[in-house]
Amino acid sequence: MPEMSKMKKPDVKVVLLGDMNVGKTSLLHRYTERKFKDTISTVGGAFYLKQWGPYNISIWDTAGREQFHGLGSMYCRGAAAVILTYDVTNWQSLAELEERFLSLTDTANHDCIYAVVGNKADLTDPKAQLSRDSDVAPEDRTECEEDRTEPEVLSACPTPPASPASLSGVMLHKQVAPEDAAAFYGRILRYKGLDEKSSLPAEKMCFETSAKTGYNVDALFEALFDLVLPSILRKRNENQESPTVDLEECRGTSSKRSRTSCC
Amino acid sequence: MSVKAFELVPAVERDLLMGDKARINIECIECCGKHLYLGTNDCFIHHFLLDEVTSSKGKLSYSAQKLLHKYLGLKKPVAELRAASALERLIVLCDGIVFLVDMVTLETVPSAAGGGAKIRGVTAFCINENPVNGDPFCVEMGVLSSKRRTVQIYMVYEDRVQLVKEVSTPEQPCAVSLDGYFLCLALATQYMILNYNTGASQDLFPYNSEDRRPIVKRIGREEFLLAAPGGLGMFANAEGVSQRAPVNWSESVIGAAVCFPYVVALDESFITIHSMLDQQLKQTLSFRDGHILQDFEGKVILASTKAVYVLVPLPLEKQIQDLLASHRVEEALILTEGAQRNIPKDKFQILHKRILQQAGFIQFGQLQFLEAKEHFRKGQLDVRELISLYPLLLPASSSFTRCHPPLHEFADLNHLAQGDQEKVLRCKRFLISYLGEVRSTEVANGCREDVDTALLKLYAEQDHDSLLDLLASENACLLADSVPWLEKYHKYFALGLLYHYNGQDSAALQVWIRVVDGELQDSTRSDLYEYIVDFLCSCANLDLIWKYADWALQKDPTNGVHIFTKRPGSKDQPELNSDDVITYLEKHNQALLLYLEHLVLERRIQKEKFHTHLAVLYLERVLSLISESPKDEEKLTRARERLQALLRESNLYRVQYLLGKTESCEQLLLERATLHGKLEEHDKALHILVHKLRDFPSAEAFCTWASSSRDSAYRQQLFHLLLGVYLDGNQTAAGGGNGDLEMAAVDLLNRHGEVFDAVRVLRMLPEGWSLQLLRPFLGRAVSASMHACRTSQIALGLSHSENLQLLHDRLKERKKPIFVSEKKGCHLCHNTFSEPDVVCLPGGVPVHTHCVAQRVRDSPTKRQLTNSSNHT
Repeated sequence: MPEMSKMKKPDVKVVLLGDMNVGKTSLLHRYTERKFKDTISTVGGAFYLKQWGPYNISIWDTAGREQFHGLGSMYCRGAAAVILTYDVTNWQSLAELEERFLSLTDTANHDCIYAVVGNKADLTDPKAQLSRDSDVAPEDRTECEEDRTEPEVLSACPTPPASPASLSGVMLHKQVAPEDAAAFYGRILRYKGLDEKSSLPAEKMCFETSAKTGYNVDALFEALFDLVLPSILRKRNENQESPTVDLEECRGTSSKRSRTSCC
Repeated sequence: MSVKAFELVPAVERDLLMGDKARINIECIECCGKHLYLGTNDCFIHHFLLDEVTSSKGKLSYSAQKLLHKYLGLKKPVAELRAASALERLIVLCDGIVFLVDMVTLETVPSAAGGGAKIRGVTAFCINENPVNGDPFCVEMGVLSSKRRTVQIYMVYEDRVQLVKEVSTPEQPCAVSLDGYFLCLALATQYMILNYNTGASQDLFPYNSEDRRPIVKRIGREEFLLAAPGGLGMFANAEGVSQRAPVNWSESVIGAAVCFPYVVALDESFITIHSMLDQQLKQTLSFRDGHILQDFEGKVILASTKAVYVLVPLPLEKQIQDLLASHRVEEALILTEGAQRNIPKDKFQILHKRILQQAGFIQFGQLQFLEAKEHFRKGQLDVRELISLYPLLLPASSSFTRCHPPLHEFADLNHLAQGDQEKVLRCKRFLISYLGEVRSTEVANGCREDVDTALLKLYAEQDHDSLLDLLASENACLLADSVPWLEKYHKYFALGLLYHYNGQDSAALQVWIRVVDGELQDSTRSDLYEYIVDFLCSCANLDLIWKYADWALQKDPTNGVHIFTKRPGSKDQPELNSDDVITYLEKHNQALLLYLEHLVLERRIQKEKFHTHLAVLYLERVLSLISESPKDEEKLTRARERLQALLRESNLYRVQYLLGKTESCEQLLLERATLHGKLEEHDKALHILVHKLRDFPSAEAFCTWASSSRDSAYRQQLFHLLLGVYLDGNQTAAGGGNGDLEMAAVDLLNRHGEVFDAVRVLRMLPEGWSLQLLRPFLGRAVSASMHACRTSQIALGLSHSENLQLLHDRLKERKKPIFVSEKKGCHLCHNTFSEPDVVCLPGGVPVHTHCVAQRVRDSPTKRQLTNSSNHT
């Protein structure tokens, strides 16, 4: 079999985990495509390669459905950051993170960082209805609102992807308070056997976002990317010290050398 | 969705294999080069020679020739066949036994003396295609046995098999694949990676092997494709990490293989083809009773229970072209870029560029200009390909021919737009912006003329503002092509610019002049006449100026003369000779006047000729205005003011000449007075002013003017002269005179009292004048006299005190007394002193008073220097 075409080799991996319908795919869409659109339930997983300065960061969007649960630990293997996503209007979605998803992160790097993200903040929080991302055009937003209202009217799903509340202006009850998320973050650290004092503080690692309005989405991803930078650099260093001889590289340098020595 | 990535081609038809025996089914296949082996359920191995036949139309088909078949004698289906071509052996699994048969004769290989050639109790085995062991004459094989939870590693030689390693697994394995030291295993409830060398294991993910048949397929170096729950095709590498997103199969996949960049999978009724690049389903082929799907050295072979087929990939380029043909630009590009590694670099670059260009044209056709532009840019499109879509834009002289095969399906823009003028317009606007962007980049290298000419045509046609910018800056517009185009759209001003840019200033001027004259219509510039004047003004070619200035001056002498007056005096421009200009302007009176004014008044050129000429022209104008009837008083006044100003201020014109010219006209007395003044004939001048004009303010002003640059004595003399004229006139006109001269004299004295010598004035004045009449003059005279007296007294006093001060200082300086005695002699007469009064010379030398007096009398100039003092 011929050598498989390699895509740009990612330097580091970030994984989105969370129950179905909390908005993992929408978060990734909002971040990568700057818009909110209808998504269908993710099958298996998908990933996106983000160019972050000179680095390639692969962001894995996983399937929240129970059916694909078994694949989670494989996706998490070697992850430098895990985004544990819940829905602020759904207490159960936070509980699921602890019950089902936290154990999947066992395969992640030892120095993996964890972010706890409450999505759909626009449904409970007026300030999240205004985007913090300057590039969200107003007409874009109205379009989104239409987009989002239509599925949940028919949906019998216990955790609707959104509710018509945002249209009528009535706020939904917020089931998960930021303190709950912070407490969960504390339990993650304990689960990992990490010292709370030497780890990143909860206030830095807990976010409330809205993929619909773009609220806090860039802030979330960019904060994480900044935090995984040391991990990237260490990985690059290890690769440099690797005893494997890279033929491609050797060829490159030798041809260069011969060119300079010529005439 | 559908891409045609593969074609299903029959290889071995049912008839050839089993004729009319309905019970016989294919159980397994192996293909090695042209040799195809089939294992059947009746324990036969069939050997075919498979030849590729390409028809004249390029269609691929297979012809199979049966070489041999052989009964293995076990009455059980042949479960697995694998070729070890270097050993010329087939490894066969039948009835739980692995054994070797000769590839050519299909005879079972007898066990060698040293060891067995059979393994019993085998459920499945796999060959290591990437063995760590370098021996080419043995094959590494992973074997799963039915009883034990182990995987055994065997080395297969020509006539024997040898167990080299046995590793235990946590559960009963049911499928295996091998790469290097890594075993990828499907256990009863999960997949795992196991390193048989170190024993290290890595769980992958859970999977229930009872629900679905597991698939463990090595797809490349240390990478495996696995059937995952939910009908997923998951990728995993030896480290247990997934580096590609999964593909979404159906739940009942039987077999899968990778034929880059596609994942091919088989279920009961379909072959599905997913792209590994975007995970999307690309093609579905109906395939009934599918049974086996395997890839052999890149060739994907399928089998139903009765027949064998080859899944032939269409050439990548064809696939890409198909995608483009159905306008699936993104997919085509992903496929192209994904194939980068499979195509030689130089070939890839050519292909990639071409695909990008084609993609750009598709998006262009859909009016997605932003995307189109990006692809044109990346694909380094020869911009003329795009220009050539627009009829008539490429210059006739352009050597360009469209690339073949064509990059797009459009004949031209009209074909593309199908008569939709709005579309045409948008395309044109796009081209304008695109050409505007690329014309200064390397994209336009080698075809700058074509680009700029096309842009010019578009600008002209679309009435675009940038047309003028294009022509006014550096450009490569072709004259021959652009001229008719600009004429067609009445862009005559622009046409002139184009001529100018090409060094044809004369042609430019001719076009512009015709526009100004109304022969041609172009409203680009309402001030085109001024533009022409400016143009000529800064024109380096003097011949052109002489040629076209005439027209400009006739059109508007006032502005036309700017050609000469506003000429910037820069170094690289030839200077115009003023005399030539004056000669040239002879027939343009007004312009000549303006030009002379420019020379004399603005540039202040000190040449008698110009000054006289200007004065004469002024004079002539005044004279002509005077002779007009009815007179335009206002004009006349202005003309005279100018004349007078020049006469007063210039010292260069020929006074006598002008005086001669004014003599004839009785109305120009003021001017004559001025001229007399210039000749210092002040009495004549004043005579005219006082007696002829009786214009006393002018007479006074004359005195002030005529003495303006002289000393006060001259001024006094002039005023006295005027006073004299007043008083004389008064006497001669006594009796008949109405006394206005007298009043003028009084006013003069009262107004300019300070100029007069009061004593002289008093002597001149008639006896009868009342003191009251002259009171202001006298008052001022007395006070002036008093003032002078007091001022001089103060000056005297100040000088005196200064003198004393200096004296004091000097004494202080010298300090020592001067001794005078009877024994000492005077230095001047050498007699002794007889009295204490002496004079001290500088240096403290005492001398007789009378001796000094004597000396002072001899040299009067030194009077000031001596000071007398008494010392006793």
